[in-house]
Amino acid sequence: MTAIATTGLSKHFGDVRAVDDVDIALAELRIHGLLGRNGAGKTTLMQLLTGQVFATRGTMRVLGAEPVENADVLSQTCFIQESQKYPDTFRAIDVLRIAAGAYPNWDQEYADQLVEEFRLPVKRTIKKLSRGQLSAIGIVVGLASRAPLTFFDEPYLGLDAVARRMFYDRLLADFAEHPRTVVLSTHHIDEVSNLLEHVVILDEGQVLLDADTDELQDAALTVSGRATDVDAFLAGREVLERTVLGTLATATVPGGPDAKRAALDAGLDVSPVSLQALFVHLTTANASSRATDVATV
Amino acid sequence: MRIRNVVQLHTVNRMQFFGWPLVFMTLSLALVLVIGGLVLGVGGPDAREGMHNGMQWNGAIFAVLGPLIGFGFTAMGQYFPLALGLGLTRREFAVGTSLVFVGYAAFFATVFTIGKAIESATGGFGLGIRFFDTYYTGVGAWWQTAIQSFLVILAVMLVGAAITTAFHRWGQSFLWAFWLTLAVIVVAIAGGLILSEPFRELVGQLGQLPWIAWMGVVAGFGAIGAAVWLTLVRRAQAR
Amino acid sequence: MLDDSKPLFVALAEQIEDGILDGTYAEDAPVPSTNELAAFLRINPATAGKGLGLLVDAGVLVKRRGIGMFVAPGAPAALRERRRSAFAAQFIAPLLREADQLGITPDDLAGMIRKEADR
Repeated sequence: MTAIATTGLSKHFGDVRAVDDVDIALAELRIHGLLGRNGAGKTTLMQLLTGQVFATRGTMRVLGAEPVENADVLSQTCFIQESQKYPDTFRAIDVLRIAAGAYPNWDQEYADQLVEEFRLPVKRTIKKLSRGQLSAIGIVVGLASRAPLTFFDEPYLGLDAVARRMFYDRLLADFAEHPRTVVLSTHHIDEVSNLLEHVVILDEGQVLLDADTDELQDAALTVSGRATDVDAFLAGREVLERTVLGTLATATVPGGPDAKRAALDAGLDVSPVSLQALFVHLTTANASSRATDVATV
Repeated sequence: MRIRNVVQLHTVNRMQFFGWPLVFMTLSLALVLVIGGLVLGVGGPDAREGMHNGMQWNGAIFAVLGPLIGFGFTAMGQYFPLALGLGLTRREFAVGTSLVFVGYAAFFATVFTIGKAIESATGGFGLGIRFFDTYYTGVGAWWQTAIQSFLVILAVMLVGAAITTAFHRWGQSFLWAFWLTLAVIVVAIAGGLILSEPFRELVGQLGQLPWIAWMGVVAGFGAIGAAVWLTLVRRAQAR
Repeated sequence: MLDDSKPLFVALAEQIEDGILDGTYAEDAPVPSTNELAAFLRINPATAGKGLGLLVDAGVLVKRRGIGMFVAPGAPAALRERRRSAFAAQFIAPLLREADQLGITPDDLAGMIRKEADR
């Protein structure tokens, strides 16, 4: 079953197209990555899907129904927002108490364990917490709520490497024990790429890539060798990036078995492209193609 | 509907919700008692009579009413974003918050009424002072104080919530429009008072309005606030 | 930890094969579960499952319902046989190519191999 399906989903703020004609279908019981640079529209998309903002255009189905003002859907959905605001007087323990009541699958014992592990000072006013401790509140709520659909928006800002690893470990362990649909939004891709089964890359509000991570292994490849050989290989191909150093050249091209074979036959060195590198190539290529569009208009 | 969770959202921090308003009330009552004691010690029985009349305008009760006004603002400004963040719907938030407003107004109306009953029975706590028995909470019978303080507190919270929701929706431009409208009204009234004799008479008659009519005015403001707030909150978006 | 020039699930399958060949997982012994592998390697459980599935399809592992995955009878021997037959293409061919570029004849190479093995 699909956990999330959208068609033509758009959210405009005046002239700004924060989310622009997005069609996605995210299968249930998987960990999805929602990737994009800052301002790509990730947060707005998740706010749309959780009914926090209203769509300008388009339709969406979340857990099989329209999510806006739908208590049945929203009580099954947990959205951990990087910029979540809390009342001035609140302490972490107040947030946890309310979350415990709001989410039907809440596991208090697990929440207590996570509070301990992330060393969250629950009785201190939230205003006095560090960025990392603020993130820890979100992580505790997001995991202990055991919501069938859980969104994490940049969940580990301000956390150190140890705490980040702990988050990945707890997420994987709990996901294995209590399978659910997770959407993890981030721009720190290398750290999470192995956790993801499927990724959607957003850029300037639009979907740039929507694929399973297994397929992405071949989605792009980097070839290197003598500049003349590289250029001969590149003729007639889409090029994501090309750099030249003296007589040597390196280029990244969309992948596929044919491309790999052709490159090897041309005597070039071939190496796979990591998700992070692919992301950088795609978003940079998109930005420069837009720049050319503007220039030619 | 998860009304219980919305109520819990507002009341989870008990000290903030009940504790501090009661502490402020006790402190300012204590201050008034000290002043009453001093006046009595220095001025004697004549001073007591004057003080008892003058204190009908004693605004010390605003030590409690003030924070209650802020309660309407924070309900929308701070609690609404968290409610949305926790997956509560706008409808659930509106119903739950309305209940909290009503409950809160009833709680403090009860406190004021009991306070006033004690104050009247003991001749101003034996010092001739007024704290609860003032124009803001009603100088009539005890039940009038109960109704008046309930309506005033409720109206103030609803109007506060309405203003915050409108600000949330239209941002700074709403505030400009709001202050501008308010300024125009104030200038118009001031101008009317200075320039027009019939207007002065009209205002003079307003001052003579019976208690029940004033309650109608307060309830009217509350109803407008409620209508604006409940309409806007259903279309309010996270920011 | 895993060879990142290959899809993750292929690298995982090869790592378990290595474990079977070096005796870490004996014939008929259990191998780690999908979730254990996912947690240990910090990878998505689905990916780990896919890697194990590859080995089940190849007959290296057998699934015992409700208990888990076990090394199939005869799997170590079969794996060794398969790796041996791939050995020439995978290791000797590139060795000969590089040797040829450097002007090392196959005979020289054989001598070098023997000398290195005696050390």
